[in-house]
Amino acid sequence: MPWDLKSDRPIYTQLVEQIKLMVFSGTYPPGSKLPSVRDMAQEAAVNPNTMQRALAKLEEDGLIITHRTSGRSITEDASMIELAKTKLARDQIFEFLEKMRLMGFDQKEILTIITTMAKELK
Amino acid sequence: MSTIFECSGLTKKFGSKTALSGVDLKIERGQIVGLLGPNGSGKSTLIKLANELLTPTSGKILIGGQQPGIETKKIVSYLPERTYLNDWMRVQQIIEFFSDFYDNFKPEKAYDMLKRLNISPNDRLKTMSKGTKEKVQLILVMSREAELYFLDEPIGGVDPAARDYILETILSNYNENATVIISSHLISDIEKILDYVIFLNQGKVVLTSTVDDIRDAKGKSVDLLFREVFKC
Amino acid sequence: MLIKLLKYEVKATGRLFLPIFLSLLVLAAINKILSAFNHPTWTTPAVITMIIYSIIMAGMFVMTFTVMIQRFHKNLLTDEGYLMYTLPVKSWQHIISKLLVSLMWIIASALTAMLSTEIIAYKPGTLGKILQALATIHNQIIGNFGLSAYLLLLEMILGGLITLASGILIVYASIAIGHLFTRHKILSSFGAFIGLTTLSQIYLVLVFQITRIAHFANFSLYNITSNEFVRSELIFASGFILIAIPCAAYFAVTNYILSRRLNLE
Repeated sequence: MPWDLKSDRPIYTQLVEQIKLMVFSGTYPPGSKLPSVRDMAQEAAVNPNTMQRALAKLEEDGLIITHRTSGRSITEDASMIELAKTKLARDQIFEFLEKMRLMGFDQKEILTIITTMAKELK
Repeated sequence: MSTIFECSGLTKKFGSKTALSGVDLKIERGQIVGLLGPNGSGKSTLIKLANELLTPTSGKILIGGQQPGIETKKIVSYLPERTYLNDWMRVQQIIEFFSDFYDNFKPEKAYDMLKRLNISPNDRLKTMSKGTKEKVQLILVMSREAELYFLDEPIGGVDPAARDYILETILSNYNENATVIISSHLISDIEKILDYVIFLNQGKVVLTSTVDDIRDAKGKSVDLLFREVFKC
Repeated sequence: MLIKLLKYEVKATGRLFLPIFLSLLVLAAINKILSAFNHPTWTTPAVITMIIYSIIMAGMFVMTFTVMIQRFHKNLLTDEGYLMYTLPVKSWQHIISKLLVSLMWIIASALTAMLSTEIIAYKPGTLGKILQALATIHNQIIGNFGLSAYLLLLEMILGGLITLASGILIVYASIAIGHLFTRHKILSSFGAFIGLTTLSQIYLVLVFQITRIAHFANFSLYNITSNEFVRSELIFASGFILIAIPCAAYFAVTNYILSRRLNLE
């Protein structure tokens, strides 16, 4: 998966988001081992310190576990991943709703549009 | 974290022209630092002063707590903005030269990188293109396990593929306790790998900040901020 | 570190000198063989090889001189200096390594020149005659001076080396002084060379004057000792010191500039 980093936000927050996506999409399944910080940094073409910071944040959030000897791995706790996933979904939807509201749609209209679109996509 | 590079009141004049004036800086270990500024802002002058290739007009430099000299040269690896290789040696001989003089030079690292670039150790430096010579120089410089690296315009005037290779080489060879100071005027190309930036203009430091602070507080990229600061 | 510098200095210069030494000796040998035929058909080739030989000979001496300057200037004060000065090496070691290797090549050039003329002048039996003559000279000297002749010879060689070193160091010092100028560095170097030469002339004149005054003041080595050997040794020793002083001064100037006033652009 290519790393796509925008220039107007701190790089580490973007790394956090992208690693989360990789976990949710199964690129890194629960319990799997993560590459070393150095390798991950090199792959994303970012500073290892930044990658380190991103991983520390993910650890804080409980998505990543650091083993004393064998590096880092994704948590095996599926509920933890589910929780993070839901949180991310909520954040995205919140942002979306904000935008829609700015465009002048009310809640009902938004829901109608969503249901129609969902039907069309099927 | 401890300080690896420090200068205070550093001034350098060339005749009547002032290249650096009263520069105070403090750089910690374990970071990649961008020394950014337009052409002629004093980036190279600062780096050359740190390498004792220039004598300061006034002020002081400390590298790992010591003034530039033999001891600092052992821990500093420097990539100048020009090619300094003589033309009569073969790549293999220049590698031998580096291993002879620098205890922290790792020849196997150098050979490994050369192999990946398809540069034969038997090639003569004389027959190489400027671009290849620059890559050989970068390989030599990054094959040292130094505490402080000075890379003067490592990506100036190279094509995007070479630029990616160079940045990758820097990232993969840099260890967590070392500090890399990269000078450049091409900010968008390198800002992803920087921890910290120093803006230099007309011989003066105009801004020092972590990259995350710039993006967090100002919500803009280092490149954009640079364009604003140095607006003509 | 000095040993390593010397090693690379010899490598860098040897690739220039060794081929020219070899070609000089080979041409001398060819010339010898051609003229040995002593036949009209071989006269022209013999003359041609002689001309080429002379050109190479002249070239060799020009080269020892230019290489001496080039190695100091190009290797230390141009782009290559970026590499040399970031090595963990003191500047005096750079100067000494360049000086010693230059000395070595000057002596080697002189020896090669001598050897090649010997080859050309060689006739069956000459070698024996030369050795004989050398032996006679040797015996005569030993006869006159006794075993101290060896010491004398050693001192003469040493004196020659110091003089030679002085000649090289004055060039280094001139180049270094020229480097202090922001513009017209080469012109300034020439100016510095003329200035330094004048200074050393003045120095020599002063030294002569002082010895003369000392002589008039009835200060003479004869008053110190009546032993002829000790007296000659004293003369040598003072001579060494007198020629070594400017030599040391040139070295000090060069080293000061390279270590404290370096400005590579």
